[in-house]
Amino acid sequence: MAHRRGRAGIGALKKKGETSKFTKKAEEIKETSLQSALDTVKQLEIKLTKFAQTHHKAIAKDPAFRHKFLSMCAPLGVDPLTSKKSFWSFLQMGDFYHELAVKVAEVCYAYRSRNGGIMSIKEVQNILVRRGTKFRLNEVVTNYSEEDIVLAIEKLKQLGSGFRIVKVGGTRMVVSVPTELDNDHVQVIQLAQDVGGGITVDMVSDMIGWEDDRVKRALDLLLSEGMAWIDKYEGLEFYWFPSVWKDSFAL
Amino acid sequence: MSDSFKFPEFYSFPPFFTIQPNLATREKQMGLWRELILSYHTSLKIKTLIVHDCPLWKNDQIGRELNPDDVKTVMNDFVKSGHGEWEDDTKTRCRILWRKPEQLAADIYTWAEANGYINSVCTVYELHSGEDVNGMSFEGADEQLLRRALAILEQKGKCTMFKGDSSSEDGIKFF
Repeated sequence: MAHRRGRAGIGALKKKGETSKFTKKAEEIKETSLQSALDTVKQLEIKLTKFAQTHHKAIAKDPAFRHKFLSMCAPLGVDPLTSKKSFWSFLQMGDFYHELAVKVAEVCYAYRSRNGGIMSIKEVQNILVRRGTKFRLNEVVTNYSEEDIVLAIEKLKQLGSGFRIVKVGGTRMVVSVPTELDNDHVQVIQLAQDVGGGITVDMVSDMIGWEDDRVKRALDLLLSEGMAWIDKYEGLEFYWFPSVWKDSFAL
Repeated sequence: MSDSFKFPEFYSFPPFFTIQPNLATREKQMGLWRELILSYHTSLKIKTLIVHDCPLWKNDQIGRELNPDDVKTVMNDFVKSGHGEWEDDTKTRCRILWRKPEQLAADIYTWAEANGYINSVCTVYELHSGEDVNGMSFEGADEQLLRRALAILEQKGKCTMFKGDSSSEDGIKFF
C-alpha cells in the first residue's frame, strides 16, 4: 500500500482520530462559504432594489431597459413579476404583465377561428397597437415590446393555460390551442413563410424532400385544426396559412 | 358623392374564394362572407343584391372567384342568417335587410315601453322619422322593413295596426 509522505493525508488524520475535527472544520468552511454567498446575494438584492427605486421611470417607459433590469434579477432568483415582497410590488410589474397577458389571450381567442390558434407575436403586437391598447406600469403609460409579450405568454404558460411559443424559422409564434405541433408541421408552416404564399403538396415534397403521404399527413392536420385554409385554383390545391400570410402583409 | 368601399383584408386572401372543407373554418368563412355582403351593400346604399351582377364574387386583383355553386352556398347562408330575403322564387334578386326585422321589433317595443306608448298610438311615420326616435335603431328605417318588424310584434300580440289616411299615417297601438 502506498503511503503518502508528509503530514495531513486523510489516512493520517484517521489514524490520529482527527476525523471528527476535520469533518467539523469542513462543515464550518461550508457554512461560512454558504453564509458569505448568501450575504453576497443579499447585498446584490439590496443594490438591485436601490437601482429599481432610482430607475423606476426608465423601467416603466423603456422596454429595452426593463428587460436589462429583469435579466439582472433573474440570476438572483428575484422575480419582480411574482414576488410578494412589498418593495417589488411597488414596481407594479406583476400587474403590468398580468394585464398584458390578459390582452394577449384576448387577441389570440378573437383571431382563433381565423388562424386555428397560431399567430406571430409580431401580429399580436400590431393588433394591440392598432387597437390603441395601453397599459399602465407604475403610473406611466408604457410601450411594450415583443419581449414583453413573450414574458406575458410565459406567465400564461405557467398558469397551465395551454399557451406556448413555437419558433417557425426566425419567427416566434404563440400557439393558444392544445394541438400537438410536431417538427413536420413547423417545417411546413415555415416553408409557407419562406415561399410567402400558398404551397402545394408537390412544392413541399420537392423543397423538403418528403414522401407525398408524409406531406399530406402534415397538411391534413393543419387543415383540420383550422391553421391552414385551402385554395383551389386551376386544378391545383394550395394551402395557405393565415398566421404566416398576415406576417407577409404586415401592417 | 360616391362612397368607395374599403374591402377588408380577407378579401385578398385567396382561400376566401374556395368553400372550406373543414367545418369550423367554413363557419368562419361564411361569417366573413355575410359580413362582407352586408357592409358592402349598406355602405354603398344598395338595397337589392342581384346575384349574377354582384361584383363581390370575383376579385381580379388576386385572380380568384367563387364558382356559381359556391355563390349559391354563400347566398343561401346569407338569407338563412336573416340579413337577406329573396324577392321571388327564382332566387335572382335578394333584398338586403341590414337590420334584422326581429331585432327592430324588439328595439321598437323597448322604445315604446320607455316612452309611454303602451296603450297608446303612434303612426308609422313617427316611428321612422318622429322626434322621439332620435338615435334609435329604427330611425330612418325603410317603411317596408318597419312593417315587417311591426308584423312580428302583431303576431306576438304586442301591437295592433290600423289604417290611416295614407300609409305613413297608418297607426300602431302598443300593448
